[in-house]
Amino acid sequence: MVHKDMTEKVSIEIKRDLYDKAKKFIEEQGGFSSVEELVEFLLEEVLSSEESEERGLSKEDEEKVKERLRALGYI
Amino acid sequence: MLGLDSLPPSVLYEDMDGGGFTYIRRLIEEGQKWLMRTCHPPITVPAWMVMFTGKTPGELGIYGFRHRRPGEFDYYIVNSSFIKTPTLWDDAGKKGLKVGVYGVPPTYPPRLVHGFMVTDFTTPGPDKPYTFPPWLRRELESRTGPTVFDIVYRSHDKDRVARDLFHMLENHLRQVEYLATRKQWDLFVYVEISVDRAHHAFWKYFDKNHPRYEYHPMYSSVIPKVYKRIDEWFEKLHRRLPKDTIIVVASDHGVKPMKGAFTINQWLIEQGYLKLKEDTTTLKPGTDLRRDLIDWEHTIAWAWGGYYSRVFINLKGREKQGAVDPKYYEETLRQLKRDLERIRGPNGERWDNKAYTPQELYPEVRGDAPDLMVYLDDLWWRPAGTIGWQTNYLPENDRGPDDAVHDWLGVLAVYDLEDTLPKGFMGEIRAEKVKEFIEQLIYQ
Ligand SMILES: [Zn+2]
Repeated sequence: MVHKDMTEKVSIEIKRDLYDKAKKFIEEQGGFSSVEELVEFLLEEVLSSEESEERGLSKEDEEKVKERLRALGYI
Repeated sequence: MLGLDSLPPSVLYEDMDGGGFTYIRRLIEEGQKWLMRTCHPPITVPAWMVMFTGKTPGELGIYGFRHRRPGEFDYYIVNSSFIKTPTLWDDAGKKGLKVGVYGVPPTYPPRLVHGFMVTDFTTPGPDKPYTFPPWLRRELESRTGPTVFDIVYRSHDKDRVARDLFHMLENHLRQVEYLATRKQWDLFVYVEISVDRAHHAFWKYFDKNHPRYEYHPMYSSVIPKVYKRIDEWFEKLHRRLPKDTIIVVASDHGVKPMKGAFTINQWLIEQGYLKLKEDTTTLKPGTDLRRDLIDWEHTIAWAWGGYYSRVFINLKGREKQGAVDPKYYEETLRQLKRDLERIRGPNGERWDNKAYTPQELYPEVRGDAPDLMVYLDDLWWRPAGTIGWQTNYLPENDRGPDDAVHDWLGVLAVYDLEDTLPKGFMGEIRAEKVKEFIEQLIYQ
């Protein structure tokens, strides 16, 4: 099930030489069907950790940090 | 911006650097020198973020590394996701500047920045995604080796501590040099934690005014060597930077000798504020105060130790087994404050204690604030939260070796070759004004 907002598209402008570089890469290398797809993919990758609900530390990681801070005398 | 965690003014502005900071001191002699008055509490977290967001700890809702949700006994640790205010580098990025951020606590988990970021000593480990962009991690490790986030203080193996310390410092210097010379940036913020670690582990071998000062052929040279290594590295790097680069050297707070540790929870027990279920004399020295040890029905308050103490009132309606009626809350606070401020030293000498409610200290109090924030003898004595000790006055820390406590004044010095700034000693600047100050330097 795809939410309507997720299929709606908007246009953004990027530098011509960057666009050309990306286009050349895709034509030679494949991997992506268009510059648009490449840009969307990279943005999603970079933003995925930012928008996740559990941004922060897992219980296990938090314990590790607590242990270290205790040994350092902060807590 | 070179951030040297816990560097006091006496080291950078006076002669107390053991000859370490030759180059940097010469630079700032031609520049501007400020005393950086740190925040309440004077601790790494939140101090750096106060400097980089321009917000007080109250507005940030960050009162130290650990916090307690109302009604809970256990604590949680803050991380970068707790910082809800844009930082110096967030705003610089928005203005189109490319930024580099290295080692600023707390920046783990790393966030999206207009440039690159390597997180700090609160990173759980080198196996975690600790860089932005994520692929920077592999690049950095392949060029400079695995990232070292912190050292462990081993109480009786100072040789090992010194070795680990220099190993970490070299690792950071190599990484920052790589980033600073290979990447594009307009603003680079680097905080080096090794300085603080060296101070805490070796201060009594360095500061002749330490009450337990001791000369040691090796340990006494550790702190000056750390300074010297940073100084030489920086000189080399500085020569490779564009001539018009503005240099800022800053610290988040100062440091001074620790006179001892005071067992704050034992004192609360003696004063009748805290009641335990069992006889305290049967407890092993250094026992952590646990929820199950406390007779909650008869407990008014309990405390946390650290570089400062946080006191919590066992308030009815807020705590699971609250005993203090909300209508007596203010009165209880007043009484506790009075009693805390009257605590005296081991020989009956007067102490300069301060107990504040967060509301007294900040324009706004967000997040999980304690009921009282307590400093013993103007920070000279460290509050220890553990119990089971024979005395309330411990000559050493209750947790591992610690020769130093924090102090209110850090440094902020600026060198600008273009020479548009007034020179010399400028007075005090408050931590929450540092962001604005640096922005004026950048956008002047
Ligand atoms: Zn610090």
